[in-house]
Amino acid sequence: MHPEKPPAPEIRITDPEFRRFRDFFYRRTGIVFSDAQRTYVDRRLTDCIVAAGSKGFPDHFARLLVEPAEMERLISAFTVNETYFYREDYQLHCLTSSLLPQITAAKRPGQTIRLWSIPCSTGEEPYSIAIWLLENWPQVDSWDIEIIGSDIDSRVLQAAEAGIYSERSLMRLPRPLVARYFTVIGDGQYRIDAELRGSVRFSRVNLIDQGETSRWRNIDVVFCRNVLIYFDEVSRRNAANNLYDSMAPGAFICLGHTESMSRISPLFHVCRFDEAIVYQKPGEAGHA
Amino acid sequence: MPDPSMPPRVLVVDDGSLIRLYYRQTLEAAGFQVLEAINGIEALEKVLSERFDLVIVDINMPKMDGMSFLRALRSQEGHAGALPALVISSESGEQDAAAARTAGANFYLVKPVTPESLALHVAVLTGVPA
Repeated sequence: MHPEKPPAPEIRITDPEFRRFRDFFYRRTGIVFSDAQRTYVDRRLTDCIVAAGSKGFPDHFARLLVEPAEMERLISAFTVNETYFYREDYQLHCLTSSLLPQITAAKRPGQTIRLWSIPCSTGEEPYSIAIWLLENWPQVDSWDIEIIGSDIDSRVLQAAEAGIYSERSLMRLPRPLVARYFTVIGDGQYRIDAELRGSVRFSRVNLIDQGETSRWRNIDVVFCRNVLIYFDEVSRRNAANNLYDSMAPGAFICLGHTESMSRISPLFHVCRFDEAIVYQKPGEAGHA
Repeated sequence: MPDPSMPPRVLVVDDGSLIRLYYRQTLEAAGFQVLEAINGIEALEKVLSERFDLVIVDINMPKMDGMSFLRALRSQEGHAGALPALVISSESGEQDAAAARTAGANFYLVKPVTPESLALHVAVLTGVPA
């Protein structure tokens, strides 16, 4: 006979605990929660507490300070965004029609072109860039193209490196491209071509941590979509400054379609191309 | 003797993974079997241990560049030493092409190369009938 399992104690987050958690999470990630998001935060946080087997908020909070794995799980719970291949493809059109012609005009054939997807979540965006270039850029073999995918959440980076996707992630990708670059592994799952997987380098980077972003330099195009909206003004400006430092003179940055760099930082010029509005670091391209 | 029922085997040597992928996709679609190497050293090991019908080689690569690879290839005896070599390079100067020919290249193309041009040159160099 097994004794009946006692019901899990109900976990409640008090007002001071919420504020304490909010400050802590903000300092670590730059992401700020409003009072209006209280219910959302409470739900995610209690899920994490229960999943980790912690007794309650004080116990879990203490663990977060000393257990990096728990901190990772927490960041995962609050930052995962569903994305898919060829999302916001107007920016990919812009990349090959407008941005790369400017960038390559200032370089010698064979030189490195560095593209950075941050945050890259589970890899759909950096792999989309690679596929787009292979399919749409006749000069793809003339340059040493480096594609880097970064995210604050190391668990999504592991998934990105594994390169296994659901039918849903591939819904916008034309079927011939799915057939060319993916192998069906059953159960509605697809594995990305090994060579394509090898063409993207993944690295954990916290956008508001200058020590981490400073490892990346001379980036030619940054794709930084739908993350700055989660930050408060200070973190947003820090993130913009960090990206600026990582970019080569004349490099471009693409944001989400609802975001505007002009409201965040005066450092960048606005460039209105036919396909998209992007922002440019001043300076002559190719003189990094 | 090569088996005419088998697709010609092509070794693509380039340090750029997207470039290798682009050449492989193009050549596989045209009916060739493609293997890859990321530098001259890896390529040399492959051509000495397996039989190929053509090697496509870049010039600027880390560890062993294309020129050193070609010279090492031509110093080999037997099949490897006589393996046709197509250089595809970003270097567009006439002296670059001449130097590659001297080092042992059979043909020299300047990047970017269209899929049609690549498939055509590889077909000619591997003796595939039109």
